[in-house]
Amino acid sequence: MNAKANKNHVTSIEPAYYEAITEAIRKEAVKILKNETVVGVVGYLPGRRKGTASPALVTTVEEAEKLIFSPACVNNLSVYLTKAKKGVLKQGKVGIVAKGCDMRALAGLMTESQLQREDLFIIGVVCPGVYGFGVQRTGTLTEENIARKCRECTVHMPEGADVAAGTHAELADLTPEEAEEMARIEAMPQTERWAFWKEHFSRCIRCMACRQVCPFCYCEQCLCDKNRPQAVESSPRPAGNMAWHLVRAMHLAGRCGGCAECERVCPMDIPLNLLNRRMAQELKELYDFEAGLTPVEKGPLNEYKENDDQSFIK
Amino acid sequence: MHDFEPKIVAFVCTWCTYAGADLAGTSRMQYPPNVRVLKFPCTGRIDPVFILRAFQKGADGVLVSGCHPGDCHYMAGNFHARRRFAAFRALLNFVGVDLNRLQFSWVSAAEGGKWVDVVTELTERVRTMGPMPEFKELEHEEQWSGAINTPELKEAYDSIG
Ligand code: SF4
Ligand code: SF4
Ligand code: SF4
Ligand code: SF4
Repeated sequence: MNAKANKNHVTSIEPAYYEAITEAIRKEAVKILKNETVVGVVGYLPGRRKGTASPALVTTVEEAEKLIFSPACVNNLSVYLTKAKKGVLKQGKVGIVAKGCDMRALAGLMTESQLQREDLFIIGVVCPGVYGFGVQRTGTLTEENIARKCRECTVHMPEGADVAAGTHAELADLTPEEAEEMARIEAMPQTERWAFWKEHFSRCIRCMACRQVCPFCYCEQCLCDKNRPQAVESSPRPAGNMAWHLVRAMHLAGRCGGCAECERVCPMDIPLNLLNRRMAQELKELYDFEAGLTPVEKGPLNEYKENDDQSFIK
Repeated sequence: MHDFEPKIVAFVCTWCTYAGADLAGTSRMQYPPNVRVLKFPCTGRIDPVFILRAFQKGADGVLVSGCHPGDCHYMAGNFHARRRFAAFRALLNFVGVDLNRLQFSWVSAAEGGKWVDVVTELTERVRTMGPMPEFKELEHEEQWSGAINTPELKEAYDSIG
Protein backbone atom coordinates (compact mmCIF):
# COMPACT_ATOMS: atom_id res chain seq x y z
CA MET A 1 0.00 0.00 0.00
CA ASN A 2 0.93 3.62 -0.22
CA ALA A 3 1.77 4.04 3.42
CA LYS A 4 3.26 7.49 3.77
CA ALA A 5 5.49 6.23 6.54
CA ASN A 6 7.47 4.04 4.19
CA LYS A 7 8.32 6.87 1.85
CA ASN A 8 11.69 8.36 1.48
CA HIS A 9 11.08 12.11 1.39
CA VAL A 10 13.64 14.25 -0.39
CA THR A 11 13.76 17.74 -1.82
CA SER A 12 15.04 16.78 -5.25
CA ILE A 13 15.27 13.56 -7.20
CA GLU A 14 18.72 13.08 -8.64
CA PRO A 15 19.43 11.51 -12.04
CA ALA A 16 21.02 8.57 -10.25
CA TYR A 17 17.60 7.46 -9.09
CA TYR A 18 16.32 7.30 -12.66
CA GLU A 19 19.51 5.59 -13.77
CA ALA A 20 18.87 2.83 -11.26
CA ILE A 21 15.35 2.41 -12.66
CA THR A 22 16.79 2.40 -16.17
CA GLU A 23 19.16 -0.42 -15.22
CA ALA A 24 16.35 -2.44 -13.70
CA ILE A 25 14.13 -1.95 -16.76
CA ARG A 26 16.90 -2.97 -19.16
CA LYS A 27 17.73 -6.05 -17.15
CA GLU A 28 14.13 -7.14 -17.04
CA ALA A 29 13.42 -6.36 -20.69
CA VAL A 30 16.48 -8.28 -21.83
CA LYS A 31 15.51 -11.21 -19.67
CA ILE A 32 11.94 -11.51 -20.88
CA LEU A 33 12.98 -11.10 -24.51
CA LYS A 34 15.73 -13.67 -24.18
CA ASN A 35 13.57 -16.29 -22.53
CA GLU A 36 10.79 -15.46 -24.99
CA THR A 37 8.24 -14.54 -22.38
CA VAL A 38 7.33 -11.63 -24.64
CA VAL A 39 7.68 -10.72 -28.29
CA GLY A 40 8.43 -7.10 -27.55
CA VAL A 41 8.58 -4.46 -24.86
CA VAL A 42 6.89 -1.06 -25.07
CA GLY A 43 9.16 1.39 -23.31
CA TYR A 44 11.11 4.60 -23.79
CA LEU A 45 14.21 5.23 -25.86
CA PRO A 46 16.27 8.42 -25.67
CA GLY A 47 14.72 11.14 -27.80
CA ARG A 48 16.71 12.90 -30.47
CA ARG A 49 17.03 16.06 -28.45
CA LYS A 50 18.71 16.11 -25.09
CA GLY A 51 16.35 15.72 -22.17
CA THR A 52 13.64 13.95 -24.17
CA ALA A 53 12.40 10.38 -24.49
CA SER A 54 10.35 8.65 -27.15
CA PRO A 55 8.01 5.73 -26.77
CA ALA A 56 9.19 2.64 -28.63
CA LEU A 57 8.42 -1.01 -29.13
CA VAL A 58 11.68 -2.92 -28.82
CA THR A 59 11.90 -6.49 -30.02
CA THR A 60 15.60 -7.33 -29.78
CA VAL A 61 18.04 -7.60 -26.91
CA GLU A 62 20.26 -4.91 -28.47
CA GLU A 63 17.39 -2.45 -28.53
CA ALA A 64 16.26 -3.44 -25.06
CA GLU A 65 19.65 -2.44 -23.74
CA LYS A 66 18.98 1.10 -24.90
CA LEU A 67 15.70 1.53 -22.99
CA ILE A 68 15.69 4.40 -20.53
CA PHE A 69 13.69 5.91 -17.73
CA SER A 70 14.05 9.58 -16.91
CA PRO A 71 11.81 12.47 -15.86
CA ALA A 72 11.26 13.00 -19.59
CA CYS A 73 9.34 9.71 -19.82
CA VAL A 74 6.02 11.48 -19.68
CA ASN A 75 3.97 9.42 -22.13
CA ASN A 76 1.38 6.95 -21.01
CA LEU A 77 2.44 3.89 -22.98
CA SER A 78 -0.77 1.97 -22.45
CA VAL A 79 -2.24 3.80 -25.42
CA TYR A 80 0.01 1.72 -27.68
CA LEU A 81 -1.82 -1.43 -26.70
CA THR A 82 -5.34 -0.26 -27.48
CA LYS A 83 -7.53 -1.03 -30.41
CA ALA A 84 -6.86 2.38 -31.86
CA LYS A 85 -3.19 1.46 -32.35
CA LYS A 86 -3.89 -1.83 -34.00
CA GLY A 87 -1.50 -4.68 -34.05
CA VAL A 88 0.97 -4.55 -31.18
CA LEU A 89 -0.78 -7.21 -29.19
CA LYS A 90 -1.46 -9.43 -32.17
CA GLN A 91 2.10 -10.72 -32.23
CA GLY A 92 1.87 -12.28 -28.77
CA LYS A 93 2.49 -11.34 -25.17
CA VAL A 94 4.15 -7.95 -24.76
CA GLY A 95 6.05 -6.25 -21.99
CA ILE A 96 5.22 -2.69 -21.03
CA VAL A 97 6.91 -0.13 -18.85
CA ALA A 98 4.30 1.51 -16.65
CA LYS A 99 4.33 4.27 -14.06
CA GLY A 100 1.61 4.26 -11.44
CA CYS A 101 -0.70 6.53 -13.40
CA ASP A 102 -0.19 4.40 -16.52
CA MET A 103 -0.99 1.27 -14.54
CA ARG A 104 -4.36 2.78 -13.80
CA ALA A 105 -5.05 2.98 -17.49
CA LEU A 106 -3.98 -0.63 -17.94
CA ALA A 107 -6.33 -1.68 -15.14
CA GLY A 108 -9.14 0.34 -16.70
CA LEU A 109 -8.54 -1.20 -20.10
CA MET A 110 -8.68 -4.64 -18.51
CA THR A 111 -11.96 -3.67 -16.87
CA GLU A 112 -13.28 -2.78 -20.29
CA SER A 113 -12.04 -6.03 -21.85
CA GLN A 114 -9.62 -4.20 -24.07
CA LEU A 115 -6.61 -5.95 -22.61
CA GLN A 116 -6.03 -9.20 -20.83
CA ARG A 117 -3.66 -9.50 -17.97
CA GLU A 118 -2.13 -12.70 -19.30
CA ASP A 119 -1.17 -10.93 -22.53
CA LEU A 120 0.99 -8.45 -20.63
CA PHE A 121 4.21 -8.47 -18.72
CA ILE A 122 4.14 -5.27 -16.71
CA ILE A 123 7.40 -3.66 -15.65
CA GLY A 124 6.08 -1.29 -13.02
CA VAL A 125 8.08 1.84 -12.24
CA VAL A 126 8.27 3.16 -8.72
CA CYS A 127 7.90 6.65 -10.03
CA PRO A 128 8.93 9.80 -8.21
CA GLY A 129 7.55 12.07 -10.93
CA VAL A 130 8.12 13.42 -14.41
CA TYR A 131 8.76 16.86 -15.90
CA GLY A 132 5.92 19.26 -16.34
CA PHE A 133 5.44 21.07 -19.63
CA GLY A 134 7.43 24.07 -20.64
CA VAL A 135 10.06 23.56 -17.98
CA GLN A 136 13.80 23.39 -18.15
CA ARG A 137 14.63 19.75 -18.63
CA THR A 138 17.75 19.55 -16.55
CA GLY A 139 18.76 16.43 -14.66
CA THR A 140 17.31 16.99 -11.24
CA LEU A 141 13.59 16.81 -10.59
CA THR A 142 12.46 19.49 -8.17
CA GLU A 143 9.34 21.25 -7.07
CA GLU A 144 9.93 23.76 -9.90
CA ASN A 145 9.88 21.37 -12.82
CA ILE A 146 7.67 18.48 -11.71
CA ALA A 147 4.39 17.91 -13.59
CA ARG A 148 1.20 19.21 -12.04
CA LYS A 149 -0.38 15.76 -11.79
CA CYS A 150 2.63 14.41 -9.91
CA ARG A 151 2.01 16.89 -7.14
CA GLU A 152 -1.15 15.02 -6.23
CA CYS A 153 -0.01 11.54 -7.15
CA THR A 154 -1.26 8.70 -5.00
CA VAL A 155 0.25 5.91 -7.09
CA HIS A 156 3.99 6.49 -6.88
CA MET A 157 4.19 2.85 -5.91
CA PRO A 158 2.35 0.81 -8.55
CA GLU A 159 0.72 -2.41 -7.44
CA GLY A 160 0.02 -5.50 -9.46
CA ALA A 161 3.00 -5.30 -11.81
CA ASP A 162 5.07 -8.37 -12.63
CA VAL A 163 8.20 -6.62 -11.44
CA ALA A 164 8.81 -3.21 -9.93
CA ALA A 165 11.76 -1.07 -10.98
CA GLY A 166 13.07 1.34 -8.35
CA THR A 167 12.75 1.90 -4.66
CA HIS A 168 10.56 4.42 -3.02
CA ALA A 169 11.36 8.11 -3.27
CA GLU A 170 9.22 11.17 -3.57
CA LEU A 171 9.52 14.90 -3.31
CA ALA A 172 8.64 16.30 0.07
CA ASP A 173 5.77 18.70 0.75
CA LEU A 174 4.54 19.51 -2.74
CA THR A 175 1.53 21.76 -2.93
CA PRO A 176 -1.30 20.02 -4.76
CA GLU A 177 -1.89 22.62 -7.46
CA GLU A 178 -4.76 20.93 -9.23
CA ALA A 179 -6.71 20.55 -6.01
CA GLU A 180 -6.21 24.23 -5.28
CA GLU A 181 -7.26 25.25 -8.75
CA MET A 182 -10.34 23.08 -8.55
CA ALA A 183 -11.32 24.55 -5.20
CA ARG A 184 -10.91 28.00 -6.72
CA ILE A 185 -13.27 27.18 -9.59
CA GLU A 186 -15.80 25.57 -7.28
CA ALA A 187 -15.87 28.68 -5.16
CA MET A 188 -16.74 30.90 -8.13
CA PRO A 189 -20.32 32.00 -8.67
CA GLN A 190 -22.00 30.04 -11.43
CA THR A 191 -21.75 32.75 -14.06
CA GLU A 192 -18.04 33.10 -13.45
CA ARG A 193 -17.56 29.37 -13.78
CA TRP A 194 -19.29 29.51 -17.14
CA ALA A 195 -17.09 32.40 -18.23
CA PHE A 196 -14.00 30.54 -17.08
CA TRP A 197 -14.71 27.39 -19.06
CA LYS A 198 -16.12 29.26 -22.00
CA GLU A 199 -12.88 31.18 -22.37
CA HIS A 200 -10.81 28.01 -22.16
CA PHE A 201 -12.98 25.98 -24.51
CA SER A 202 -13.23 28.82 -27.03
CA ARG A 203 -9.51 28.52 -27.60
CA CYS A 204 -9.77 24.85 -28.55
CA ILE A 205 -8.68 24.28 -32.15
CA ARG A 206 -10.22 20.79 -32.31
CA CYS A 207 -6.95 19.16 -33.20
CA MET A 208 -8.19 16.12 -31.26
CA ALA A 209 -4.78 15.46 -29.81
CA CYS A 210 -6.42 15.01 -26.41
CA ARG A 211 -8.48 12.20 -27.87
CA GLN A 212 -5.64 10.54 -29.76
CA VAL A 213 -3.44 10.34 -26.71
CA CYS A 214 -6.08 9.03 -24.33
CA PRO A 215 -5.99 5.29 -23.73
CA PHE A 216 -9.73 5.32 -23.13
CA CYS A 217 -10.65 7.07 -26.37
CA TYR A 218 -10.28 3.87 -28.34
CA CYS A 219 -13.68 4.06 -30.04
CA GLU A 220 -13.31 3.19 -33.69
CA GLN A 221 -15.88 5.78 -34.51
CA CYS A 222 -16.03 8.70 -32.15
CA LEU A 223 -19.41 10.29 -31.59
CA CYS A 224 -17.77 13.60 -32.34
CA ASP A 225 -16.83 12.57 -35.88
CA LYS A 226 -20.31 11.51 -36.86
CA ASN A 227 -22.07 13.77 -39.28
CA ARG A 228 -25.29 11.96 -40.12
CA PRO A 229 -26.79 13.19 -37.95
CA GLN A 230 -24.16 15.42 -36.51
CA ALA A 231 -24.13 15.24 -32.74
CA VAL A 232 -21.30 17.66 -32.13
CA GLU A 233 -20.27 20.39 -34.51
CA SER A 234 -16.77 19.56 -35.64
CA SER A 235 -15.36 22.91 -36.65
CA PRO A 236 -13.49 24.89 -34.03
CA ARG A 237 -16.23 27.28 -33.03
CA PRO A 238 -17.34 27.98 -29.47
CA ALA A 239 -20.63 26.07 -29.66
CA GLY A 240 -19.12 22.84 -30.94
CA ASN A 241 -16.15 23.21 -28.64
CA MET A 242 -18.34 23.39 -25.56
CA ALA A 243 -20.23 20.30 -26.70
CA TRP A 244 -17.02 18.44 -27.48
CA HIS A 245 -15.58 19.13 -24.06
CA LEU A 246 -18.72 18.15 -22.24
CA VAL A 247 -18.98 14.95 -24.26
CA ARG A 248 -15.33 14.15 -23.67
CA ALA A 249 -15.58 14.72 -19.93
CA MET A 250 -18.75 12.65 -19.78
CA HIS A 251 -17.26 9.77 -21.76
CA LEU A 252 -14.21 9.66 -19.56
CA ALA A 253 -16.15 9.92 -16.32
CA GLY A 254 -15.47 6.91 -14.14
CA ARG A 255 -12.87 5.65 -16.61
CA CYS A 256 -10.13 8.26 -16.74
CA GLY A 257 -7.01 7.18 -14.88
CA GLY A 258 -5.74 10.71 -14.44
CA CYS A 259 -2.55 10.37 -16.47
CA ALA A 260 -3.10 13.97 -17.65
CA GLU A 261 -1.83 13.11 -21.10
CA CYS A 262 -4.78 14.92 -22.64
CA GLU A 263 -3.78 18.11 -20.88
CA ARG A 264 -0.11 17.67 -21.70
CA VAL A 265 -0.67 17.37 -25.43
CA CYS A 266 -3.19 20.18 -25.71
CA PRO A 267 -1.56 22.91 -27.78
CA MET A 268 -3.97 25.49 -26.41
CA ASP A 269 -3.23 24.92 -22.71
CA ILE A 270 -6.76 23.95 -21.80
CA PRO A 271 -6.82 22.53 -18.26
CA LEU A 272 -8.51 19.28 -19.23
CA ASN A 273 -7.37 17.37 -16.20
CA LEU A 274 -9.38 19.68 -13.97
CA LEU A 275 -12.51 18.42 -15.65
CA ASN A 276 -11.31 14.82 -15.46
CA ARG A 277 -10.50 15.15 -11.80
CA ARG A 278 -13.76 16.84 -11.07
CA MET A 279 -15.69 13.98 -12.62
CA ALA A 280 -13.56 11.45 -10.77
CA GLN A 281 -14.32 13.22 -7.51
CA GLU A 282 -17.99 13.34 -8.36
CA LEU A 283 -18.17 9.61 -9.04
CA LYS A 284 -16.38 8.93 -5.82
CA GLU A 285 -18.93 10.93 -3.91
CA LEU A 286 -21.89 9.48 -5.77
CA TYR A 287 -20.91 5.85 -6.20
CA ASP A 288 -17.84 5.41 -4.05
CA PHE A 289 -15.79 4.54 -7.08
CA GLU A 290 -12.20 5.44 -7.77
CA ALA A 291 -10.19 4.34 -10.78
CA GLY A 292 -7.56 2.22 -9.12
CA LEU A 293 -4.75 -0.11 -9.95
CA THR A 294 -6.82 -3.27 -10.06
CA PRO A 295 -9.34 -4.12 -12.76
CA VAL A 296 -12.93 -4.24 -11.58
CA GLU A 297 -15.99 -6.02 -12.87
CA LYS A 298 -17.70 -2.89 -14.21
CA GLY A 299 -17.12 0.84 -14.16
CA PRO A 300 -19.53 3.06 -12.18
CA LEU A 301 -21.51 4.18 -15.21
CA ASN A 302 -21.90 0.65 -16.51
CA GLU A 303 -23.68 -0.63 -13.48
CA TYR A 304 -26.30 0.54 -11.02
CA LYS A 305 -27.82 -0.19 -7.68
CA GLU A 306 -31.53 -0.12 -7.15
CA ASN A 307 -31.12 2.27 -4.25
CA ASP A 308 -28.84 4.77 -6.02
CA ASP A 309 -29.52 8.35 -5.04
CA GLN A 310 -32.39 9.86 -6.99
CA SER A 311 -33.07 12.94 -4.96
CA PHE A 312 -32.61 15.00 -8.13
CA ILE A 313 -35.45 13.20 -9.91
CA LYS A 314 -38.84 14.69 -9.24
CA MET B 1 -42.92 43.74 -26.84
CA HIS B 2 -43.75 40.10 -26.46
CA ASP B 3 -43.80 38.39 -23.14
CA PHE B 4 -41.16 35.71 -22.83
CA GLU B 5 -42.51 32.29 -23.73
CA PRO B 6 -40.09 29.59 -22.66
CA LYS B 7 -39.26 26.78 -25.05
CA ILE B 8 -39.21 23.48 -23.22
CA VAL B 9 -37.94 20.29 -24.80
CA ALA B 10 -39.06 17.02 -23.23
CA PHE B 11 -37.20 13.79 -23.89
CA VAL B 12 -39.50 10.99 -22.82
CA CYS B 13 -39.58 7.24 -23.00
CA THR B 14 -42.32 5.76 -25.10
CA TRP B 15 -43.53 3.21 -22.57
CA CYS B 16 -44.32 5.35 -19.55
CA THR B 17 -44.04 9.10 -19.87
CA TYR B 18 -45.17 9.32 -23.47
CA ALA B 19 -48.19 7.22 -22.61
CA GLY B 20 -48.72 9.41 -19.54
CA ALA B 21 -48.63 12.56 -21.66
CA ASP B 22 -51.01 10.89 -24.09
CA LEU B 23 -53.35 10.10 -21.24
CA ALA B 24 -53.28 13.73 -20.16
CA GLY B 25 -54.23 14.65 -23.71
CA THR B 26 -57.03 12.17 -24.14
CA SER B 27 -58.35 13.13 -20.70
CA ARG B 28 -58.41 16.74 -21.93
CA MET B 29 -56.19 17.99 -19.14
CA GLN B 30 -54.71 21.42 -19.80
CA TYR B 31 -50.97 22.05 -19.72
CA PRO B 32 -48.70 24.75 -21.14
CA PRO B 33 -48.16 24.44 -24.88
CA ASN B 34 -44.50 25.37 -24.42
CA VAL B 35 -43.34 21.81 -24.34
CA ARG B 36 -42.09 19.92 -27.41
CA VAL B 37 -42.12 16.20 -26.79
CA LEU B 38 -39.53 13.85 -28.28
CA LYS B 39 -40.16 10.17 -27.90
CA PHE B 40 -37.45 7.58 -27.24
CA PRO B 41 -37.56 3.84 -26.75
CA CYS B 42 -36.11 4.18 -23.25
CA THR B 43 -34.54 6.77 -20.93
CA GLY B 44 -31.42 4.68 -21.35
CA ARG B 45 -31.31 5.89 -24.95
CA ILE B 46 -31.38 9.55 -24.01
CA ASP B 47 -27.77 10.56 -24.52
CA PRO B 48 -26.61 13.66 -22.62
CA VAL B 49 -25.57 15.05 -25.98
CA PHE B 50 -29.27 15.36 -26.88
CA ILE B 51 -29.71 17.71 -23.97
CA LEU B 52 -26.78 19.83 -25.10
CA ARG B 53 -28.21 19.88 -28.59
CA ALA B 54 -31.56 21.06 -27.28
CA PHE B 55 -29.95 23.92 -25.36
CA GLN B 56 -27.81 24.85 -28.36
CA LYS B 57 -30.83 24.93 -30.62
CA GLY B 58 -32.78 27.26 -28.38
CA ALA B 59 -34.39 25.37 -25.52
CA ASP B 60 -34.75 27.37 -22.33
CA GLY B 61 -35.52 24.29 -20.31
CA VAL B 62 -35.20 20.54 -20.75
CA LEU B 63 -37.20 17.73 -19.24
CA VAL B 64 -36.12 14.12 -19.23
CA SER B 65 -38.70 11.65 -18.08
CA GLY B 66 -39.28 7.93 -18.13
CA CYS B 67 -40.60 4.98 -16.18
CA HIS B 68 -40.35 4.74 -12.43
CA PRO B 69 -37.53 2.55 -11.12
CA GLY B 70 -38.52 -1.07 -11.49
CA ASP B 71 -40.97 -0.35 -14.31
CA CYS B 72 -38.50 -0.14 -17.19
CA HIS B 73 -39.68 -1.99 -20.28
CA TYR B 74 -36.09 -3.11 -20.77
CA MET B 75 -35.57 -3.97 -17.11
CA ALA B 76 -32.76 -1.56 -16.21
CA GLY B 77 -32.55 1.26 -18.77
CA ASN B 78 -33.73 3.85 -16.31
CA PHE B 79 -31.34 2.67 -13.59
CA HIS B 80 -28.42 3.19 -15.94
CA ALA B 81 -29.82 6.53 -17.04
CA ARG B 82 -30.14 7.62 -13.43
CA ARG B 83 -26.39 7.26 -12.85
CA ARG B 84 -25.49 8.87 -16.13
CA PHE B 85 -27.70 11.85 -15.47
CA ALA B 86 -26.45 12.29 -11.93
CA ALA B 87 -22.93 12.53 -13.35
CA PHE B 88 -24.02 14.80 -16.20
CA ARG B 89 -25.72 17.20 -13.82
CA ALA B 90 -22.53 17.44 -11.82
CA LEU B 91 -20.58 18.20 -14.97
CA LEU B 92 -22.99 20.89 -16.12
CA ASN B 93 -22.93 22.43 -12.69
CA PHE B 94 -19.14 22.52 -12.70
CA VAL B 95 -19.03 24.40 -15.99
CA GLY B 96 -21.63 26.85 -14.72
CA VAL B 97 -25.03 25.79 -16.03
CA ASP B 98 -28.04 26.51 -13.83
CA LEU B 99 -29.51 23.10 -13.06
CA ASN B 100 -32.94 24.59 -12.48
CA ARG B 101 -33.38 24.50 -16.23
CA LEU B 102 -32.94 20.78 -16.39
CA GLN B 103 -35.52 18.52 -14.84
CA PHE B 104 -35.60 14.77 -14.43
CA SER B 105 -38.83 13.00 -13.60
CA TRP B 106 -40.48 9.63 -13.42
CA VAL B 107 -43.95 9.75 -14.94
CA SER B 108 -45.83 6.50 -15.53
CA ALA B 109 -48.45 5.74 -18.17
CA ALA B 110 -51.14 6.19 -15.53
CA GLU B 111 -49.89 9.55 -14.29
CA GLY B 112 -51.49 12.00 -16.71
CA GLY B 113 -51.95 14.38 -13.80
CA LYS B 114 -48.31 14.19 -12.79
CA TRP B 115 -47.25 14.97 -16.36
CA VAL B 116 -49.38 18.10 -16.27
CA ASP B 117 -47.86 19.12 -12.93
CA VAL B 118 -44.28 18.49 -14.01
CA VAL B 119 -44.63 20.39 -17.27
CA THR B 120 -46.49 23.26 -15.68
CA GLU B 121 -44.00 23.61 -12.88
CA LEU B 122 -40.97 23.52 -15.16
CA THR B 123 -42.53 25.97 -17.60
CA GLU B 124 -43.36 28.42 -14.83
CA ARG B 125 -39.94 28.09 -13.26
CA VAL B 126 -38.18 28.74 -16.57
CA ARG B 127 -40.55 31.59 -17.30
CA THR B 128 -39.42 33.39 -14.17
CA MET B 129 -35.78 32.59 -14.93
CA GLY B 130 -36.04 34.13 -18.37
CA PRO B 131 -34.37 32.96 -21.57
CA MET B 132 -31.29 30.77 -21.38
CA PRO B 133 -28.60 32.69 -23.23
CA GLU B 134 -25.46 30.65 -22.59
CA PHE B 135 -25.53 27.93 -25.23
CA LYS B 136 -27.38 30.07 -27.73
CA GLU B 137 -24.75 32.79 -27.52
CA LEU B 138 -22.06 30.25 -28.22
CA GLU B 139 -23.91 29.22 -31.38
CA HIS B 140 -23.45 32.71 -32.77
CA GLU B 141 -19.93 33.31 -31.65
CA GLU B 142 -16.94 32.74 -33.84
CA GLN B 143 -13.61 31.54 -32.60
CA TRP B 144 -12.02 34.94 -32.70
CA SER B 145 -13.76 38.23 -32.13
CA GLY B 146 -14.72 38.21 -35.79
CA ALA B 147 -12.86 41.48 -36.23
CA ILE B 148 -9.85 41.15 -38.47
CA ASN B 149 -8.58 44.66 -38.11
CA THR B 150 -7.22 44.34 -34.58
CA PRO B 151 -3.86 46.01 -33.88
CA GLU B 152 -2.28 42.61 -33.20
CA LEU B 153 -3.34 41.17 -36.52
CA LYS B 154 -2.38 44.32 -38.36
CA GLU B 155 1.06 44.12 -36.85
CA ALA B 156 1.28 40.46 -37.80
CA TYR B 157 0.28 41.19 -41.41
CA ASP B 158 2.69 44.10 -41.63
CA SER B 159 5.55 42.00 -40.44
CA ILE B 160 4.96 39.34 -43.08
CA GLY B 161 6.26 41.75 -45.74
S1 SF4 C 1 1.39 10.93 -11.50
FE1 SF4 C 1 2.59 9.64 -10.11
S2 SF4 C 1 3.02 7.80 -11.24
FE2 SF4 C 1 2.32 9.32 -12.72
S3 SF4 C 1 4.18 10.27 -13.49
FE3 SF4 C 1 3.53 11.50 -11.75
S4 SF4 C 1 4.55 10.67 -9.97
FE4 SF4 C 1 4.73 9.17 -11.61
S1 SF4 D 1 -14.70 11.20 -27.07
FE1 SF4 D 1 -16.07 9.57 -26.48
S2 SF4 D 1 -16.73 8.66 -28.41
FE2 SF4 D 1 -14.93 9.86 -28.84
S3 SF4 D 1 -13.25 8.43 -28.73
FE3 SF4 D 1 -13.42 9.42 -26.72
S4 SF4 D 1 -14.73 8.09 -25.53
FE4 SF4 D 1 -14.97 7.51 -27.66
S1 SF4 E 1 -8.82 11.60 -20.15
FE1 SF4 E 1 -6.76 12.40 -20.09
S2 SF4 E 1 -6.07 11.98 -18.01
FE2 SF4 E 1 -7.83 10.66 -18.40
S3 SF4 E 1 -6.99 8.76 -19.15
FE3 SF4 E 1 -7.47 10.02 -20.93
S4 SF4 E 1 -5.55 11.08 -21.40
FE4 SF4 E 1 -5.38 10.28 -19.31
S1 SF4 F 1 -5.93 18.92 -27.56
FE1 SF4 F 1 -6.67 20.90 -26.84
S2 SF4 F 1 -6.99 22.11 -28.70
FE2 SF4 F 1 -6.83 19.96 -29.32
S3 SF4 F 1 -8.95 19.25 -29.38
FE3 SF4 F 1 -8.14 18.74 -27.36
S4 SF4 F 1 -8.69 20.48 -26.07
FE4 SF4 F 1 -8.93 21.14 -28.19
